[in-house]
Amino acid sequence: MDKQQRLKEWHENTEKMMNKFPERKDRFHTSSDIEIKRLYGAEEESYPFDSLGLPGEYPYTRGSQATMYRARFWTMRQYAGFGSAEETNKRFHYLLKQGQTGLSVAFDLPTQIGYDSDHSMARGEVGKVGVAIDSLEDMEALLKDLPLDKVSTSMTINAPAAVLLAMYIAVAEKQGISAEKLSGTIQNDILKEYIARGTYIFPPKPSMRLITDIFGFCQSHVPRWNTISISGYHIREAGANAAQELAFTIANGIAYVDAALDAGLDIDDFAPRLAFFFNAHNQFFEEAAKFRAARRMWAKLMKEQYGAKNPKSWQLRFHTQTGGSTLTAQQPDNNIVRVTTQALSAILGGTQSLHTNSRDEALALPTEDSARIALRTQQILAHETGVADTVDPLAGSYYVEHLTDELEGKANEYLDKIKQMGGAVSAVEQGYMQREIHHTSYETQKKIENGQEIIVGMNKFTIENEPQPDLLRVDPELGEKQREKLHTLKSNRDQNRVSAQLESLRSAAKGKDNLMPVILECVKSYCTVGEVCGVLREEFGEYTGV
Amino acid sequence: MKKTIRVLIAKPGLDGHDRGALVISQALRDYGMEVIYTGLRQTPEQIAAAAIQEDVDAIGLSCLSGAHNELFPEVMRLLHERGADDIIVVGGGVIPWEDIPLLESKGIKKVFTPGTPTIETAKFIEKAVNERDGISSVTAAVPPERIDHIGIAVASLDEALPFYVNQLGLTLEKIEEVPSQQVRVAFIKIGETRLELLEALTSESPIASFIQKRGQGVHHVALGVSDIQDRIHELKSNGINMIHDVPVTGAGGAQVAFMHPSSSHKVLFELCEKRKKEEV
Repeated sequence: MDKQQRLKEWHENTEKMMNKFPERKDRFHTSSDIEIKRLYGAEEESYPFDSLGLPGEYPYTRGSQATMYRARFWTMRQYAGFGSAEETNKRFHYLLKQGQTGLSVAFDLPTQIGYDSDHSMARGEVGKVGVAIDSLEDMEALLKDLPLDKVSTSMTINAPAAVLLAMYIAVAEKQGISAEKLSGTIQNDILKEYIARGTYIFPPKPSMRLITDIFGFCQSHVPRWNTISISGYHIREAGANAAQELAFTIANGIAYVDAALDAGLDIDDFAPRLAFFFNAHNQFFEEAAKFRAARRMWAKLMKEQYGAKNPKSWQLRFHTQTGGSTLTAQQPDNNIVRVTTQALSAILGGTQSLHTNSRDEALALPTEDSARIALRTQQILAHETGVADTVDPLAGSYYVEHLTDELEGKANEYLDKIKQMGGAVSAVEQGYMQREIHHTSYETQKKIENGQEIIVGMNKFTIENEPQPDLLRVDPELGEKQREKLHTLKSNRDQNRVSAQLESLRSAAKGKDNLMPVILECVKSYCTVGEVCGVLREEFGEYTGV
Repeated sequence: MKKTIRVLIAKPGLDGHDRGALVISQALRDYGMEVIYTGLRQTPEQIAAAAIQEDVDAIGLSCLSGAHNELFPEVMRLLHERGADDIIVVGGGVIPWEDIPLLESKGIKKVFTPGTPTIETAKFIEKAVNERDGISSVTAAVPPERIDHIGIAVASLDEALPFYVNQLGLTLEKIEEVPSQQVRVAFIKIGETRLELLEALTSESPIASFIQKRGQGVHHVALGVSDIQDRIHELKSNGINMIHDVPVTGAGGAQVAFMHPSSSHKVLFELCEKRKKEEV
């Protein structure tokens, strides 16, 4: 099709779509009353249609929607959770009241690794890095009075993702909201747990089965749920560079797609529900380019390699969190500035949702004041700077387009290597990504220590006698309270029903049926996270590292 | 022969963040230590048992999940129970400052907060192990031996000297000019040390700008050292900023070097090595 014709159609389709999804303003303009157009560059003769496409069109380099933030800002989604379900519920209500538009649940480590609060491995960890959830009772408290049909909820849960998703569905049902109405995301990305984050339970094979079971179940029962958030975030935090983050994330994505196809699912049934999660680090232009490259790579893969037909299968939609490991314990207020530029790179890269870190996270969990400043940072960028008023403003920058191409090239080299190793699962089992990341992280450390890389306030521009900020403390009694609560639950529930459900889970695990329905029955009977994962541990075995 | 220090780097609890543990393991190896890394999810029992079985000199505990207040002391308790108190234990991770005194009271030798250069950790472990074994650290220079003199900035020697000589009754040893600092100095002997009165010769002299900024008064403390070059080297490797990386010639022909006050809590320290022939 002729370029001008394509552009004309794009304008027409966009106008049509705007009848249903209007833009934020009738007219966008700068302070000098220069009109801000939706799209720049595409009318030029030299416009590279093949590599950039148009916003909302293949290969989505310029963004996954036509109007992007002119219609609606990204979802401001702050990751929160600490202590008890009741305390976290209060923080959620607070955040919504402050204008946050989506929820994001942090679970404590015992929950993430499938141990109840009274397990010996849970010592010292209950409620520390997130909220402690043992049973449906805790989940009910966590979600109390939240409008689950209106708010979308992201849950950072991987190995036991099926259990926590089942609990979410069960609570919604009790509130009279059917599963089809629920929207949200579970992280459910086990490969990066082996690579970088460490909250694995089972070996790769049964883990991949749990994941594809969730894909299959949600497709028919929870169609608006993002069934996985394929995460480069933690790969980057572990020390990878931007190209490695991009490559390993896409490599893991390919592995999930392959697993789902092997399980007999159709690509266009599950691919539209795959979501991604990236890190926004300090190197501003490289980060923005990384997001653009990721969209283009995934679109090409899905369309050309996997033959997906539904454009929604081609679209890489992603959440971004600013880089936790870039924060310094020294002069913590400086972190607000780091977070601001990182967030801006994610916005210019076209993120769908964003978490901005709090200034004090190198020291502890954020206080309420710090969490508010982090949210305000996003709100200032959205409402005061005008960066969201035109689509993909960096497009056509010689530098940014070059970086986008280069990152794609470097990532593709890694993808070839991983393919030769038999794919991401096999590369993980051989420790390949782990070694590559460690190498980069050690080199970075050396550069920081010899002053080649400057970290303001840490290895240069330091001050003495730093004032010590107030930090959030988790109630030290919480572990004990949570254990008591669990014992009360165990003595009050229908023990026969619990045993029966756990036995059906065991036989389902031995077989090949989708595990989600039986896990849902288990949680409704108030089986605990530890009990469900315990049965699966016995059946599947445990992963013990490379 | 110098023995190789063996270190166990351990991840207690459920925390999966091992970037720091891996980096410190490699850095200690590069420093010449033998390092055993436990991997993730170790109980305090496993850590204590591994440390004893591997006969390590030191343990580095890394925790970013906030469980340190329970897990670190438990490791210490178990080491003590098994008679392994001689193992040096250090910690790191996301640990709030106010928790550090508690951890140190439980026997953790030092807690390294985020941003600590790995070399600092390596040197700390080396020093602690050597002290335990009664080996004086090979690289460490002898600590400063005495206060060589105290420098006092004065607007005019002629006006200030009568106070020291007549009213305090001290002895004026000598007056000389130090071209490198553009000062005229008077040495007044007091016991084994001296007061050094400094008068600016030009408006560019450091003493002139000191007086302009802060007025007359105590200017610096000079620490008497031997092997000044080694001492400078050691201080720098411990992260101290030096105004002089190589010694310059000061009054009486002494070799001197100033530390940057930003490294020494705002006190200006001078390292001062007297020429050998002047020593008695």
